[in-house]
Amino acid sequence: MAVTDTIDAASVVPRTEAQIQRRYRLISVAITVVILGLWEIVPALGLVNPIILPQFSKVVWALGTLVIQDFFLQHFTVTLTEILLGFVLGTAIGLALGIALAVWPAVKQVTYPFVVGFQAIPKIVFAPLFIAWFGFDQTSKVVMAIVIAFFPVLINTMVGLESVPQDAKKLMRSLRATPLQTFWKVSLPHALPIIFAGVKAALTFAVIGAIVGEFVGASEGLGYLLDLYNNQLQIDRVFAVIVVLAAIGALGYFLLEWLDRKLIFWREDENR
Amino acid sequence: MVNQGPIAEFAMSQPVSSAPVVQTQSLAKTFHVDGKSVVALESVDLTINPGEFISFVGPSGCGKSTLLNMIAGLLPKTSGQVLIHGQPVAEPSKRVGFMFQAPVLLPWRTVENNVLMPAEVFGLKVNDIRDKARAVLKTVGLGDFINAYPRQLSGGMQQRVALARVLTYEPEVLLMDEPFGALDEFTREAMNLELLRITRAANITVLFVTHNITEAVFMSDRVVVMTPRPGKVSGIIDVPLPRPREIELMHQPMFTDLTFQVRSILGGTHGGH
Ligand SMILES: Nc1ncnc2c1ncn2[C@@H]1O[C@H](COP(=O)(O)OP(=O)(O)OP(=O)(O)O)[C@@H](O)[C@H]1O
Ligand SMILES: [Mg+2]
Repeated sequence: MAVTDTIDAASVVPRTEAQIQRRYRLISVAITVVILGLWEIVPALGLVNPIILPQFSKVVWALGTLVIQDFFLQHFTVTLTEILLGFVLGTAIGLALGIALAVWPAVKQVTYPFVVGFQAIPKIVFAPLFIAWFGFDQTSKVVMAIVIAFFPVLINTMVGLESVPQDAKKLMRSLRATPLQTFWKVSLPHALPIIFAGVKAALTFAVIGAIVGEFVGASEGLGYLLDLYNNQLQIDRVFAVIVVLAAIGALGYFLLEWLDRKLIFWREDENR
Repeated sequence: MVNQGPIAEFAMSQPVSSAPVVQTQSLAKTFHVDGKSVVALESVDLTINPGEFISFVGPSGCGKSTLLNMIAGLLPKTSGQVLIHGQPVAEPSKRVGFMFQAPVLLPWRTVENNVLMPAEVFGLKVNDIRDKARAVLKTVGLGDFINAYPRQLSGGMQQRVALARVLTYEPEVLLMDEPFGALDEFTREAMNLELLRITRAANITVLFVTHNITEAVFMSDRVVVMTPRPGKVSGIIDVPLPRPREIELMHQPMFTDLTFQVRSILGGTHGGH
């Protein structure tokens, strides 16, 4: 059995990395089981009004019956489109602005105060405005998602590009590299891990933007359904929609995480 | 023994002339920071001949890096001249290679692709350089590591990659700013011997900054000793020891004598070892 860590005094009891990982996973599963168990038992015993908190099995049932219906799929598609458009466009805008700010000091000097000022505003206040400007349908939600999502990408792109080590820039200068060559061969790859962290945040923010936009005024989408079921006191369905939204967020995050590992293979991981 | 074919080969193609390769004339540099001016270098005159190995020693902050950066065309001069083959230097040139204290490798590129990176910048066909790059990597003892990534290499191996990267493009002049300063004593000695072997075979002119007096004497044809800031040349010691140089040389009285000379010009305040 390979014991890699012999220096650490705490590892007197030999335990492999795999064993530790298995133990942690077991604890996670146990916690999940306890929470779901309580969720099932507490409303059933009448300790909480089932209208406020329906039993877990009711939520599962609601989820199962919802997802197989055509109308649900339509609402799902509407929101997913908003999220994806908001995420992709927000990321693209954030990248473009971040690059512009990092590459042209004059642009940064002029626009940075506005950028910071804009970020200080809680973007949710724009939601009613966007509906007035862009209408009741998807456009206003996509704009909302973009506005919330682009900022972390912008900041991380700028910071990443500005953190290129002086030595690397000097090396490129000694080779008489053009600014474009330095950008593609050194700056952008160097900034990529930092940019990617911003992109991950952008996905989460795009979900928030789309749902908030739908809350404020919509006739379709998962945010609209959430609001509707809440008003109809169909709380089991409210939870079902939340589960679907969580699944979208989680799936997207894991996809990005996977892409991150593929793309930035040289990252110096602590656990490698 | 490692292969030294390609390096020795291109030595033949180097122009053989006795006219100086590098000249500095009243070269000076003043930095201006926050309204204050710092005189880093004050009138440096040097004439360096083809194939010479020149070391620079001097107290920290005396302007050694500044001098090298100006010779490389990486830093604008305040006054004076830098001439390479009689031509004033305005910007970096392919004929002048630069090596830093850190290896400065790109972690997302393999060893071979790090060595090939300058070819891309120079607009050369990468495939035309590949064989040459591999041969040089073999020469510096990295033949088995061409597909490794930098993080898989030790510090000394990473610095060898940096050396291969600069040698592949056959510079006439190699500027080295404490290139092995971050390595342990043992590795540094091995790297020094290798550097001597390769650059002597290829007749490359080397300007080598170091904090180590013994190392400076051991490597060089001449040792340039500089004064504390503002930096000037306070003396140049000729090192007429035979080449190729072996470690045993350090035990000879003449060697000890030369290191003592360097030390006394420095004022005895500067530690070697
Ligand atoms: N970019 C800069 N701006 C302002 N002052 C500088 C700059 N670079 C160097 N100096 C100053 O010029 C002087 C010489 O610096 P330099 O780096 O050339 O010294 P050095 O001999 O290489 O020192 P060391 O042995 O510590 O590397 C120092 O006093 C330093 O503070
Ligand atoms: Mg220095």
